[in-house]
Amino acid sequence: MNLRVPSPGELPLVRQLRGADRLGRGAAAESRWSKELRARTATADRTVKSVCPYCAVGCAQNIFVKDGEIVQIEGDPDAPHSRGRLCPKGSATRQLTTGSSRERHVLHRRPGASDWERLDLETAMDMIADRVVRDRRRGWEEEEDGDLLHRTMGIAALGGATLDNEENYLIKKLLTALGVIQIENQARVCHSSTVVGLGTSFGRGASSTLPGDLQNSDLIVLEGSNMAEAHPVAYQWVVEAKARGATVIHVDPHYSRTSALADEFVPLRAGTDIAFLGGIINHVLTTESDFREYVLAYTNASTIVGERFEDAGAEGLFSGYEEATMSYDPRSWQYEGAFVGAAAGQRDQEGNVDRLQEDELGGPGGRGEIRRDETLRHPRCVWQILRRHYAAYTPEMVERVCGVPQDVFAKVCRLFVENSGRERTTAFVHGVGWTQHTIGSQYIRAASILQLLLGNMGRPGGGVMAMRGHASIQGSSDIPTLFDTLPGYIPMPHAHGHDDLADFIAADSPARGFWGNMDDYVVSLLKAWWGRAATAENDYCFEYLPRLTGSHSTYDTTMAMVEGKVKGFFLFGQNPAVGSANTRMQRLGMSKLDWLVVRDFSLIESATWWKDGPEIESGEMRTADIDTEVFFLPAAAHTEKEGTFTNTQRMLQWHHKAVDPRDDQRSDLWFTYHLGRKVRERLADSGDRNDRPILDLTWDYPTEGEIEEPLADAVLAEINGWNADGEMLSAYTELKADGSTSCGCWIYCGCYAEGVNQTARRKPASEQNWTGGEWAWAWPANRRILYNRASADPSGKPWSERKKLVWWDEGKGEWVGHDTPDFEAGKPPDYVPPEGATGPDALRGDEPFIMQADGRGWLFAPAGVADGPLPTHYEPQDSPVRNLLHEHQRDPARQLYEHEWNRYHPDPDEPGAEVFPFAATTYRLTEHFTAGGMSRWTPYLAELQPEFFCEVSPELAAERGLEHAGWATIVGARGAVEARVMVTERMTPLWVDGRVVHQIGMPYHWGPNGLARGDSMNELSSMALDPSSHIQEVKALSVDIRPGRRPRGPGRTVLVEEYRRRAGITAATGMG
Amino acid sequence: MATRAQVKELLDSGLDYEAVARQLGIRPGLAYMIATGRPADDDTAPAQDLFEPPAHNPTTNPRVIEWVKERAARELRSAG
Repeated sequence: MNLRVPSPGELPLVRQLRGADRLGRGAAAESRWSKELRARTATADRTVKSVCPYCAVGCAQNIFVKDGEIVQIEGDPDAPHSRGRLCPKGSATRQLTTGSSRERHVLHRRPGASDWERLDLETAMDMIADRVVRDRRRGWEEEEDGDLLHRTMGIAALGGATLDNEENYLIKKLLTALGVIQIENQARVCHSSTVVGLGTSFGRGASSTLPGDLQNSDLIVLEGSNMAEAHPVAYQWVVEAKARGATVIHVDPHYSRTSALADEFVPLRAGTDIAFLGGIINHVLTTESDFREYVLAYTNASTIVGERFEDAGAEGLFSGYEEATMSYDPRSWQYEGAFVGAAAGQRDQEGNVDRLQEDELGGPGGRGEIRRDETLRHPRCVWQILRRHYAAYTPEMVERVCGVPQDVFAKVCRLFVENSGRERTTAFVHGVGWTQHTIGSQYIRAASILQLLLGNMGRPGGGVMAMRGHASIQGSSDIPTLFDTLPGYIPMPHAHGHDDLADFIAADSPARGFWGNMDDYVVSLLKAWWGRAATAENDYCFEYLPRLTGSHSTYDTTMAMVEGKVKGFFLFGQNPAVGSANTRMQRLGMSKLDWLVVRDFSLIESATWWKDGPEIESGEMRTADIDTEVFFLPAAAHTEKEGTFTNTQRMLQWHHKAVDPRDDQRSDLWFTYHLGRKVRERLADSGDRNDRPILDLTWDYPTEGEIEEPLADAVLAEINGWNADGEMLSAYTELKADGSTSCGCWIYCGCYAEGVNQTARRKPASEQNWTGGEWAWAWPANRRILYNRASADPSGKPWSERKKLVWWDEGKGEWVGHDTPDFEAGKPPDYVPPEGATGPDALRGDEPFIMQADGRGWLFAPAGVADGPLPTHYEPQDSPVRNLLHEHQRDPARQLYEHEWNRYHPDPDEPGAEVFPFAATTYRLTEHFTAGGMSRWTPYLAELQPEFFCEVSPELAAERGLEHAGWATIVGARGAVEARVMVTERMTPLWVDGRVVHQIGMPYHWGPNGLARGDSMNELSSMALDPSSHIQEVKALSVDIRPGRRPRGPGRTVLVEEYRRRAGITAATGMG
Repeated sequence: MATRAQVKELLDSGLDYEAVARQLGIRPGLAYMIATGRPADDDTAPAQDLFEPPAHNPTTNPRVIEWVKERAARELRSAG
């Protein structure tokens, strides 16, 4: 560019004032130089419709391509949910996808080698296929105690939430056919407890609403979510609601931009949300300010529970607790005279449930006569049980436990009540601040109870909005790369009692509700996977499915690795070396593997721990002694492949391919398909019956191009399903259990209806209503707000004109409204099931929760949650405060792991507890993404947030001598990390039970690799899990903090050991 | 630079923004902005096509449909 000094007459303002364009809209705004400029968007050849690959808001993108290169990526202004906006991460996607940080070639580390070597892709694929075939056999387990297992424990996989649905589908299909059960992804460590909490309460484990509907809320309560920073584009709807007069409350340990935009910020102690929510429930119950008509008609408040049920009481233990196994037998939680299974949630209970059915009811789920007391006076009706359970959760106790002053709490209660009922609605928004606890599922249950009591479910501006964190983490839950489910939340079969298909269906399919059609869903799935080989005579190959024998979650797999039981491990875009709890255990586990395949953009910590991990620096591991063979295979970006992401509102959006991947970069669809092809080639001549599942698998996907990329829309078509005439199915109600339909995921049935990829629909927001029903496609059946039958009263009329959504049209004889009705379209409100009716036919016309066996929202969960039918406050595993509400300090059924690298902290009343006096919590930043793999290597984002830091209050800084912008070392029983110090009033010291509790905030994105480097806070966290969902507790823990940097080399371990000695920590500490 | 009057005159003659832009040698989005004072990618302006190159958003794939027919014939027709 040539620069010269312009003459006075050329100055823009002078030209503007002298010329005809005095407002500066046209010629006056141009200079000679700017006149030559052309926007990259203007010179592009084409615009490719796409979706942001970061968080689960799923902002729509326009990708501008010129001469085969991406020249710009912008938000798509037509999109109803994102309205053209992108956050800093989304705005950096061009750099993410085209920048130089991405690896382009396969790398191989031989066992014991000190560095990488290049390897050609084809050779790498052959080597991996050889190892899969070998180690599948080495880890094979055919049976246990006479029960069929039909599985291999030699191979495991982790990751999928950043991938497309089609990729997750092929991964699950291939690995399951190989007998692999240790399949997990980010959904386990992020929102698995949401699935349990929402699923058991309402019938489906996904967000009930969409961010765009928050604009209709009268009150929005954000708790466990820093939405303005973690999901900034979705936060526009909160701002929109506020502009329309809504009140916004933010409840969080940490003041953030979400708090700044809220009307009320309520700081509370990390890990005490159930005490807080329980207090509100108690307020609603004692003041009888519930929405009584809704409660009586649509919840199980009036249902009578069996005589054997005993409340948790002061002790904090429900009936059925077995101390020896630290678990509950849930039989005593069942309804009187009837059995209902859970629509979702913890399926390990099903063994117990099987016994219950056989022992007491003589039949499968949903049988028996449910007894109710509509007066709500029966001492064993749910309403009275709820009253007794939460009676102790008084405002005084909320203040003592949570540190929330009583006047603030009273205001929150008042706002809840005032903004619920016929005319007004309240919405909850939560993120992983609620889910990542040893009682995470119960956090979600508590919010669900409140929303049912106040009549906020299924209505505009109501619901529970779960803000999920990865582009397709909802999709990787729906089409699960998870151990315990098959596509569409069909449970994986267990070794106990699931010998054949009939047993499986009988055990898991209730007689009432849409799960009553589970045989249609299962048989259609088996036909999609095993095609011609699946016949009625062979139970549609049901025997081909491997069996579970308990939890095989990612943390159980970590322990199995540590014990040397797992030989090979696939990582699909997940980075456990810094992103999972107790990262030392993760790296230790990987060091025991024979081989590891890492598929990612860059050399993340999970790919390089063997040469530069913390244990190498400390001397606890030596590279030469580590025999793990490592393959690094560079992944294709979202711009280089096509497929669907399912966002946080259950919406599947198709993204098109803009450009070809370079060199060895490949999609996970390509990798999985060709790995499967190679494994099948190797086994082609096998006569072993255990190889039939892989050889009979339908695996003939059409491919295109030089690299033979499978057609993602062919995979999506298989997911959708078809009938015997080759017609694409339109709805899951068309599925049959007679082998005449095929469907890879029943809840996605309809996404390819009429041979049209419905997920690629892009009708502009301005041409449709706020639900955006013609933009892409949402499961189930393109319903945008779930349970919307509840937006009308039992007679089918809207509760109010202001909050109408769907209603019964007597003239048309069907449900109509602004959204697809979440109900059988022609079932009238006064429908009463005939004697002996089953499945959906057995639900009345006024029972809106159609996945539940009793058609109602569950205030009390008689099944599905492992640690009790009602949420109960327990302290976090490592807490500096004793439990004031119950004698049991911690969740008595939580899942723990005994290992010298996974020690827990003492009880707060025990000697040594004072060594870890502070509460710590963790959160996400706008500029970084999860464990950093897609942001720490991106220069724009790395520059915006360059260093790991901790936030402390001025009071704590003074107490511990911490200086703003200086260094601090934070220590726990698992590890020590260093962080830059931010002294800020954003962290509020709380007055808790007569003393001040200081809290420390830490973002969790860092690790030692990439451009923005720092310690991972997960060096501090432990493997202590929620028993229902197997999620880890990383949102509340106790620590110590001291000024200065941490020691280098072996000194770091010495420091942690010194702390352990001072605290008197042994293998038994914290286990009680 | 085209003036608002020029754009308006051509629009009034029945031309759409693309045709106006071709006549005036400017991009359609700019013609829209000159005429309305609003950018074509504004939330309230359903005029995204005016400022962007042609969008690539196919929703059907005949090859997939053909493959589905073959599979259904192979795998499902014999079912009861």
